[in-house]
Amino acid sequence: MRRSALSVCRIAIAAVLAFAPSAEAGFHRADVGDVIENVALPALSGGRQPLLGQAAVNVFVFFKPGQEHSLTTLTKLAGFKEKFAGKSVHWAAVASDRFKLVDIEATVQAAGFSMSVLIDTGDELYGRLGVALCPTIGITDRRHQLVADLSFAKVNYAAVISGHIRHQLQEISSAKLQDILNPTAAVQGGDAKMAHRRLKYAEKLFQAGKHARALENVQASLAKDPNLAAARVLQERILSAQGRSAESVR
Amino acid sequence: MNMIIQAFNAGESENRNIRPLPASGRRRVIVTTVLLLAGLCLAASLFVAEKAAGKTAKAGRTGGLAPLPEGELAASLHAPFAGGDCGLCHQNQDPKAPGPLLKAVNDICRGCHEDFSHLTERKFRHAAATESCNNCHNPHNARYDKLLVKDVGTLCLSCHTDMKPVTTEARVKHDATIKDKACINCHNSHGTDVEHLLISLPYDLCVTCHGEDKVKDHDGRQLTDFKKLLEENPEHHGPAADKDCSACHNPHGAEYFRLLNQEYPSKFYASYNPETYALCFNCHEESVFEEPRTKTLTLFRDGEVNLHYLHVNKAQRGRTCRACHEVHAAKQAHQVRDGVPYGSKGWILKINYTPTRSGGTCTKTCHDIKGYTNQPADLAAGSQAGR
Repeated sequence: MRRSALSVCRIAIAAVLAFAPSAEAGFHRADVGDVIENVALPALSGGRQPLLGQAAVNVFVFFKPGQEHSLTTLTKLAGFKEKFAGKSVHWAAVASDRFKLVDIEATVQAAGFSMSVLIDTGDELYGRLGVALCPTIGITDRRHQLVADLSFAKVNYAAVISGHIRHQLQEISSAKLQDILNPTAAVQGGDAKMAHRRLKYAEKLFQAGKHARALENVQASLAKDPNLAAARVLQERILSAQGRSAESVR
Repeated sequence: MNMIIQAFNAGESENRNIRPLPASGRRRVIVTTVLLLAGLCLAASLFVAEKAAGKTAKAGRTGGLAPLPEGELAASLHAPFAGGDCGLCHQNQDPKAPGPLLKAVNDICRGCHEDFSHLTERKFRHAAATESCNNCHNPHNARYDKLLVKDVGTLCLSCHTDMKPVTTEARVKHDATIKDKACINCHNSHGTDVEHLLISLPYDLCVTCHGEDKVKDHDGRQLTDFKKLLEENPEHHGPAADKDCSACHNPHGAEYFRLLNQEYPSKFYASYNPETYALCFNCHEESVFEEPRTKTLTLFRDGEVNLHYLHVNKAQRGRTCRACHEVHAAKQAHQVRDGVPYGSKGWILKINYTPTRSGGTCTKTCHDIKGYTNQPADLAAGSQAGR
């Protein structure tokens, strides 16, 4: 039973994804679900280093020196490296060899980014993945399967990056990740909230022995939400205290 | 008073070069001095009282926490104050001497306003609200709705002073910042799960106004119904798909048309200059438009001939982004627009972009039918179309 329910859920999610509008992807030649080929590239610090590691989560970013969004992204990732210190996360940043090494170094230093910085000679990796935007962050799992490609966003960018990493580290559930990707609107007011507020006020008045005004407010509460059980109970208590139990039964 | 008069006279007698004032003039000076001193004392005592009340140096709040003067009509009234239930918040029931509060301000407020406990526990919280509800609200009554001590715009700008020039002096203004509920049209001043205290993600917020075809801009021009546009056109620009309108637009006010953050060509043709495309190059790779030949930078190339460069990078009549792409959403892949305008009578010539496994074709519009192949035929068989 549970298995069939799960299957239905999976089909529903697949259907939603299939009919969802398509968005400009960070990588034109790699989709979420594709396995990213690991490559060793020349490192800014010397020698060659791999794009991906053996960690539970691999985070790599294509960036451009001197670009504001790239600097912001690298700064955020530098913060995340500290936040996720000691956890199984491999970090790497990639810049094209079209840019001067001094400029790359300057951007990396300005961001406080102390991770592996790789140089993409002749934009080979850029072209292979079809990097469309800069910066673009790729996140893979341990098997190097791409789980997210994220382009820059002005709002909730850090929350989304962190959410994907934490989800891969199994620190948060898929439902929680969805909450981060699609946060609930912070709306205020509404009849239910007003009813509850009136109820709390009535409770305080009742405790203060102001029965008539407590009744007035509990009735205002019930007018906003007739199904508020706690308000019904309080109304009965007030009526009883006023010696009007017969009315309370009604 | 006599002492002051004596002191004044003593000073006068010591300075013989100054002609003495007549008695009436002396009295005026003395009265003015006394009033000035009294004013200074009052201001100092108010300052001390406000500090004692725990008010941090919030710039614009006035009026303190006391009820409005008797007889003044309040726009909002707190129920316990209206009911004379001073004792619910204060130690005494006497309205003339209510005494100190029973608990910390926010704890008292949340005793009834429980829903705000939840709001201020959200991921992003307004420091003013977590510090003290009284930073913005008068707990008794107020001249403004929701017991606010000032109108929303003035209240917010009293701390967020940097926003004032943006909202009021920008070349392109956004009515949402000043009309209706002003700042709280988009922000929740208590707490939210979206950065910058936004009520929801930017797109969801924007379409509350820009999701119908009745909205006009600050200059009276009809604005697009973006909800409809995105629903009818499945190929979305990244920021639109990510609900991040603020990636390109500044909702407070901007120097560029359509509240754009940076420069973007408003016409079909433009001489190529990277500064003209500053907005696009925040995310899109500038070198795509500056390298005549490439095997990696773009898939819109015929072999190694960079077709983005060919179209855009011209000293005269370079085609701008909008010549081929829709900026928000389109029906064709890569947000290629349906058609291009032709002539002065509003004709639209269909582009009919057709992606293929190794490139794509456009029908006869700006030029004759043309196709491109971005990779060798043997690789094309395994590649994804049109990218």
